[in-house]
Order: sequence, then structure tokens, then C-alpha cells
Amino acid sequence: MLEMKNIKKIYRTDTIETHALEDFSLRVDDGEFVSVMGPSGSGKTTFLNVAGLLDTFDSGTYVLDGNDVSRLSDTQMSRIRNRAIGFVFQSFNLIPDLNVFDNVDVPLRYRGLAASDRKQRIERALDMVGLSSRAKHLPSQLSGGQQQRVAISRVLAGDPKLILADEPTGNLDSLMAREIMDLLDRINAGGTTIVMVTHSPECAVRAQRQIHVLDGRVVDLETPRITLTRAEAGAGIASTLG
Amino acid sequence: MFLYNVRIGIKSLRRNPILTALLIGAIALGICVSTTFIALRHIFEKDPLPGKSQTMFFVRLDNWDPARAYNAEDPKSLPQMITYRDMRELMKSNIPTHQVGTYRARMFAHPDPKVGRPFAADIRMVFSDFFPMFEIPFQYGSGWDKAADAKPEQVVVIDQAMNQKLFGGGNSVGRSIRLDERDYKVIGVIGAWKPPFRFYDVSQGPAAVEGIFMPFNFTPLLQLNTNGNSDGWKGQAEPTYESFLDSEQTWIEYWAELPTVEKQQAFRDFANNYVRDQKKLGRFQRPLHTEVTSMPDLFKEFQIVPPAIKSMSIVSLLFLIVCSLNLVGLLLGKFLARVPEVSVRRALGASRFQVFWQHVVECELVGIVGGAIGIVLSVGVLQLIAKMMPQNTVHVGLDTEMVLISIFLSLIAGLLAGIYPSWRVCSVAPAMQLKVQ
Repeated sequence: MLEMKNIKKIYRTDTIETHALEDFSLRVDDGEFVSVMGPSGSGKTTFLNVAGLLDTFDSGTYVLDGNDVSRLSDTQMSRIRNRAIGFVFQSFNLIPDLNVFDNVDVPLRYRGLAASDRKQRIERALDMVGLSSRAKHLPSQLSGGQQQRVAISRVLAGDPKLILADEPTGNLDSLMAREIMDLLDRINAGGTTIVMVTHSPECAVRAQRQIHVLDGRVVDLETPRITLTRAEAGAGIASTLG
Repeated sequence: MFLYNVRIGIKSLRRNPILTALLIGAIALGICVSTTFIALRHIFEKDPLPGKSQTMFFVRLDNWDPARAYNAEDPKSLPQMITYRDMRELMKSNIPTHQVGTYRARMFAHPDPKVGRPFAADIRMVFSDFFPMFEIPFQYGSGWDKAADAKPEQVVVIDQAMNQKLFGGGNSVGRSIRLDERDYKVIGVIGAWKPPFRFYDVSQGPAAVEGIFMPFNFTPLLQLNTNGNSDGWKGQAEPTYESFLDSEQTWIEYWAELPTVEKQQAFRDFANNYVRDQKKLGRFQRPLHTEVTSMPDLFKEFQIVPPAIKSMSIVSLLFLIVCSLNLVGLLLGKFLARVPEVSVRRALGASRFQVFWQHVVECELVGIVGGAIGIVLSVGVLQLIAKMMPQNTVHVGLDTEMVLISIFLSLIAGLLAGIYPSWRVCSVAPAMQLKVQ
């Protein structure tokens, strides 16, 4: 699904160069659920931005779903973001003055789908996250967990092959975090590839594979440094709940 | 997608009503000022006879003082009107499709005492060709014919305003108007015909059309005098009305409709030959000089568009540009505050162009709403100007063409204000803003 080779990304200002990614190489297969961990400033988010074609890189190659996407125009990248990739953000990133229905509708509008098709997709996606009854609510009328479910339904409506999640539970309490991770599990079980950046060991172990990033490089592909099992992670969340 | 962008634009404008009011107010002010002055210019520049004005020719002959030109400082100048006797001779030509000699007289109209008191009315003295020649539409009845010219018959044509004033509107064909001491039968009521100014009589300066039209041949019978300009160079009063008609006094405008180049040349030859013949009789002692000028060329020569209005229309456009450019900063601030939302849209698949277009549509909404308010304000200002003008001058207002021009200007103003802020907001890298929302 996703293969990066020797990606280099440097942020430049007048006085400093920051090497955000340095010889970053990673392969994620179709249908995998991969978590990416690392300390702050290690390059996790930069990797996610490059993977999601939200940012360009200086050198290296990036193949997405069998296509080299290293050097594309803005329109081509936008088209791929719209059709092949879904984003879940830590801060939900819903548009505040659009109601739930219209928020889920945003990517479908840019795809140019017919109104009836869009309506069908939105209703199905909201049903999958259990928010059909909240279609007319504004984001400010929803809890954090509900807002994240709306953000996930926005992804589901687009039916992407790859979901990139940037600390999707970072702003949620444990109970809501568990709900969201369960939801991502179910989506992955349906065949969608998920790459999730997280600081949370409990969330990381829910992935099939954990990747560790340090100073812009992948340092540990296979062996999780934190050796919690999925069951232990679940128990951890349960104990937090008391 | 366009309607979606309109919806987003409306939502965005509703979010901050005070800022929106400022944006719309600035465009409205700019459009009001520019529309008002451009409309005034448009009134004078508009072709009064579209498709036909090029075939309408105004004829001038140089019968002036052999010792000095009509305008002493310009030896090429010649009188703006012609004499009664020359008009009579030119009218004998069968080259023009239509032709008319015309001037403005004044008589006292005596309406039914129940309707109103007698008043001084401007009367346009014309031949029957005047109505088809200047394409004057009729609501009721028609103009008179050549037989009525020859006789002349006691008939008049009135316009809608005069019909309203004398008869309260309606079909007044067959009713009578008393002008001075005679009754004249209304033979036709002019329909929707509102030329912005009296384009067939530019030598008198721009003014509104008259409300009553009467057969020219009443001139000698009633011994009418012109109520317009009259120029002479002999400096002596004529002892009788007959000698006045036979004098070198110029007071008649003469128009000929010459639809082909051949007819135009033939008529020029005819006019020159006429002058040559008159020279043999001792008249026209200045060098041969006749002018057969098309209507558009005549308007240019007479500077129908007042230079002050030309300048003000340009200044008003500059004012609109300044109004628009003043909004750039406000819109830039508004749009940049929305960068996080734009980043989300970019992440969800909006291309840079789609984001640009979305913001341009919002600016155009401001332009259109501001423009609509500006046009309404401009109508009010033009009405105010019309009220301040002396009566019988120029018909001031906005026509369809001018409204379309104003809408176009509104769109340009919106674009001018919004293009840079829209470009800036679509150029922001989305990745930088998604994490910090």
C-alpha cells in the first residue's frame, strides 16, 4: 500500500535547517494496521504529512498503492488525498459552522459525486459510527468522542484505501479512546490500511505492527519497545476506568 | 460546486455581520458613485438611433458674412443652422429617403379649465417625415401625412406626459387642444419614447424633447418665431415677417436620411450645386463650404458629452478601485483567520484552485450585494440630480445597459478586492495548520 525509500525532508528558515526526516524508509502492506511511536519532534507528524501528500519532501521515493507519487502537481495530490486517503486528527478538525451531515459531506463535494450518492454515503457512514440521530447537530453540540466519530465517519464516507490517524485519541478520555480504537479496529478488519501516530502505548499495541521513529529515521521496525499485549492494553484502560 | 461555494460564502459572511456590513458598504459606495457618473456619461454617449444614426445627416451651409467667418477665430467655422429659404430649397430634393426642417416654437396651451390653467408649451415644428425618420413609436394613432403637411391640417402629435397633463392619459386621438387661438386635433400619442435628450436639435444644447409636435407649414401662416437660437450677421431688423423668412437669419435645423454612400455623395453634390447657383444670385459670398455630417460625427463635433462628465466618470472609476483596494486588507485578515479550516479542506481533497475559487465566490457575493445596494442608491442620486436640473433638460436615469454595466463593475470590484487575499489563503501549506487547530 505504502512504500517510502530514503525520504529526506528538511525545513529551512533563514538561519536554521531542520532535518525532519532523514533516510526515512518504510513499507506498509495492504490491510495492515501500523502504529508509529516516538518522542515529540522525532518526525512522526512530518512522516504522516508526507504520507498523506499534505507536504512534499526533498529526496527519496514514495510509492502509494502501486503509483509513484514522489513528484505530483497540486491537483494530482489533492485528487489522491480526496479518493485514496482518509485523515483522522487529534483535534478532530471539524468545520465549526457546518453541521455533522455537512462536515461528512465535505470530501464528497470535492469528489463531484451526485447529491443522491453523497446522501447515501453520509447516512451509511453516520450509521456506522452510531451518530445518525446527530446529523443536524453542530460540532460544538457534541462531546469530544462524538466529534472524533464524526471525523471517522467523514473518512468512512469517502471509502479510502488508507487511513492516516494522527494521535486520534490524544484529546479523549480513556473510555472514549477505547471506543475510537474499537472503531478503528473494525474499519481495519474490513480491509482498510491504517497508519496511526500515537504517544499512547495502550493504543499502539492495538496495531498489528509498531514502528519507532527517532530523529527522523525508523529505528525499530518489528520489535515493540513496549511489550504490552493487546489484552494488557485493554486491561490498562479498564483499570483507568476503575 | 458553484452553489456549494455560494452557500459556504453566505455562511462565512453571516459569521461576522459588522465586518460584512463594512465590506458591502464600501463596494456600495464605490458602485453608487461610479454608476451615477458613468450613467450621466452614458446618457449622452448612447446612440439614440441604433443601427440608423450613421444614415442621418445634419446639413450646414456657409451663408455668413463675406468679411468674417461665423466664428471669427476659426475661418473654417460655419453657422449651425440654415435659413428658412435654404431649407425650403433643400427640401425640394428627392435624394433623401426622409428629410425634415425643424425648430422649436412656443405657444400657450389652454387645457380644459377643470384640468388646469393655461401654460406656455414648447412646440416642435416638423414635417411628416420626422416620425418615421426618427423612429418615433406611437401608443395611439400616428403622425400626419404629406397631404397634412401641404395643407397644413390643424393636427398635432403629443407625447405621453402631455397626454397625461391635458387629458389624464388614455386614447385622446380625436380630442382637441387649444394652442394660442386655434384648436388642433390630436392625431397621435407618442408611446414609450424617452430619448435622454433632444438629439435632433443639438445646436441648442442638450435638452428634453418637446411634448407637442405640429406641422411645420403653420410657420408662415401663424407667423411663428423660433423659441430656440437664431443667428444672423446683417445686424438689422427685418421690416416684415415675409422679409424675415427671406433673410440670411439662420434658425432651422435640417436633417436628411441618406442610407447609401451614393445618396450621401449625390446629396453633397446637390447642396454644393445649390450654393453655387445662389452665389450667382449674390448670396453665399464666402468660399464654398457645405457640411453634410452624420449624427455620430455631429455629436462628437458638438461635444455632446460635457467634458466635466467625462472627467468625473473616470475619477469615479478610480474611486471604485480605491474602495475595492481598501478592502484587500480586511479580506486578507478575514481569510487568513480561516487558514485552519482551509487546511482541513485541503486535507480532505480540495485543490489549491478550488480553495481559491471558493474565496473568490465569497468576494463576488460581497461585490454583488454591494453592487445591488450601490445601484439602488445611484437611482436615488440620479433622481435627486434630475430634480435639481431645470425643467426641459435631460432625462436622467438608468437603462438596462447601464444596470448591466454596473453589475459588471460590481463583479470587477469584488474580484479586485478579493483576488490577492484568495490567492494568499490558497497558498498556505495545509500541513502546518492541521496540528494546531
